[in-house]
Amino acid sequence: MTTFLAAVLTATAPVVLAALGGLLCSVSGVFNMALEGQLLWGAFTAVLFSHLTGSAWLGVAGAVLCTTLYALLLSVPAVTFRADPVVVAVGTNLLALGLTAFLMRQIFGSGGTFSSPELAGLPTLAALGLDAPVAGSQSPLVPVAFLLVAAAAWWLGHARSGLRLRGIGQHAEAAESIGLRVPLYRHAAVLGAGALCGLGGAQLALGNVTLFSEGMSAGRGWVAVVAVMLAGSRPWLGLAACLLFGAAEALGFRLQGLGLPQQAADAAPYLITLLALVVVAAARRKEAPV
Amino acid sequence: MRTISPAVVLATAALTLTACGGTGQPAATAPTGKNVILITPNPVGTNSFLQLSVKGAEAAAKEIGASFKLYESKDPTSIAQNLDAAVRAKPTVIVGVSFSFDDLFTTVPKQHPDQQFLQVDSCAEEQAANLTCVSFKEHEAAYLAGVEAGLLTESGKLGVVAAIDSPFVHRWIDPFLDGAKSVKPEATGTPLYVGGNNPFSDPARAKSQAQTLTGQGVDIVAAAASAGNQGVFEAVAAAKAKAFGVDVNQCAQSPGNVIDNVLKHVDVAESAAIKDIAAGKAGGVKVYGLKEGGVGVNALGDDLASSGCAVAASADVVAKVKQVRDDIVAGRVTVADPLAG
Repeated sequence: MTTFLAAVLTATAPVVLAALGGLLCSVSGVFNMALEGQLLWGAFTAVLFSHLTGSAWLGVAGAVLCTTLYALLLSVPAVTFRADPVVVAVGTNLLALGLTAFLMRQIFGSGGTFSSPELAGLPTLAALGLDAPVAGSQSPLVPVAFLLVAAAAWWLGHARSGLRLRGIGQHAEAAESIGLRVPLYRHAAVLGAGALCGLGGAQLALGNVTLFSEGMSAGRGWVAVVAVMLAGSRPWLGLAACLLFGAAEALGFRLQGLGLPQQAADAAPYLITLLALVVVAAARRKEAPV
Repeated sequence: MRTISPAVVLATAALTLTACGGTGQPAATAPTGKNVILITPNPVGTNSFLQLSVKGAEAAAKEIGASFKLYESKDPTSIAQNLDAAVRAKPTVIVGVSFSFDDLFTTVPKQHPDQQFLQVDSCAEEQAANLTCVSFKEHEAAYLAGVEAGLLTESGKLGVVAAIDSPFVHRWIDPFLDGAKSVKPEATGTPLYVGGNNPFSDPARAKSQAQTLTGQGVDIVAAAASAGNQGVFEAVAAAKAKAFGVDVNQCAQSPGNVIDNVLKHVDVAESAAIKDIAAGKAGGVKVYGLKEGGVGVNALGDDLASSGCAVAASADVVAKVKQVRDDIVAGRVTVADPLAG
């Protein structure tokens, strides 16, 4: 059970961070589908900076900085020039896939997978002196991810700037009429999502494993997008959705061992998504009859 | 991959403040009429299996006085574009590596009857006369690895982390467990499959699966997850378990944690086949097993001591593996082929 819970947390952490970023954008009225590419870019830059500096924490810092900058590729066209964020996001996702592969060859001299004994990975909490049963095997970024969800929930519900962000998402013209600078808030949300994806990518490449391989985000950013669609503007619901996916994955591995076909285990997250979408849609209709 | 314009790449690289040292692409062209084009299903990079296949094709091209070109596919979906380009270049032979070419090599050789094709490591179902295949009896090597695992396991629980649940991938699973049971009948085996969106390059999922296995008391995990293998090695290292690598010597990737590898000497077989085709002996399937020296394990090699593989410390295991190898070559032991099932 302990290993199961630990596996769920490990699998969930990168997705939670990306989903939280997507949720902030969604609250501000920008639909962010660029999470997959930004996670991958975060994973790459984390490994790059860890490799260059020999420090996992500088790797994390580098990933956060670089992915925030990478998010400009979405925020400038989508917010300043009012391009369709979905189209721009698809472009940045494809770019991340190609660019990481290209830079990997240029910098590490190899494609495919890069790992090296000198590459510094994040320490576990146990190694830092916090040896609890489930938490001990996690990297420090895992509790950070959950704390950030709590912080975001409080911020969106109570802080003046958080409430304003929500107002902008619900009625941009009204917010503008009381003097709020809508583009500023939206830029901040998209760039904040970039920073969170950088953190998520760093957790994936330096926490879950200690290596980079091409396309290693492997759909986690898309799962985060789905979690955002399920959660609306409620961070706790987003966290719950991510945990559900993580649990489905970890449970799938165990059921495979008992004879469940791989294909069925693979389909589980998507089945859960479908079910959850139906349930959420039904609940919303009940809440607000047309 | 080839479609990203350098301008976009440079602009973005500058934008993200990432330094990159530019190196030119090595151009390989010879003035002779002969040439060999090798298409890989994935980026070569540190993928040692693909590195070996490049080495084999390069060596063969040099020997027959041909130029050599490498077309790397970004992922299995971009193979068709590369194959298209290769066909238009009309080389002496087009080499495709892996089962990722099964579908394309069923149709494309028939459309271009004058072009010679070589498929390495698998064979299209309906083989045209101008398609030569090189395949391996991986199951024989996997069986030997299983024998080692059966002798070395303490818990009697074995696991396999494989990329996908396909008949071909079962060649690394079923014979491995059969081999283990041949020396330790009460051993149990659990295969887990990475699956998901990117099964051949998802080390995080592969690691999580290996942890699932070690959490259940498994003390030896065979890795057959391609780029995910490194994730498996990380998991066994943390759990004080051991692993097996695949295709090439992966022992150095995780020193002390890898017992041995299910080897495939793809360079030897591929270069022999290219030379045969250039000499006009095309067509048919050339099968390389233990007998032909096309597959093996590091325990059988002369360089075992320097291989870094953990099996080197157990002389009795090495002796038993050699004996089983002789039995298989002599036909006294038959390894069931999951593909023939």
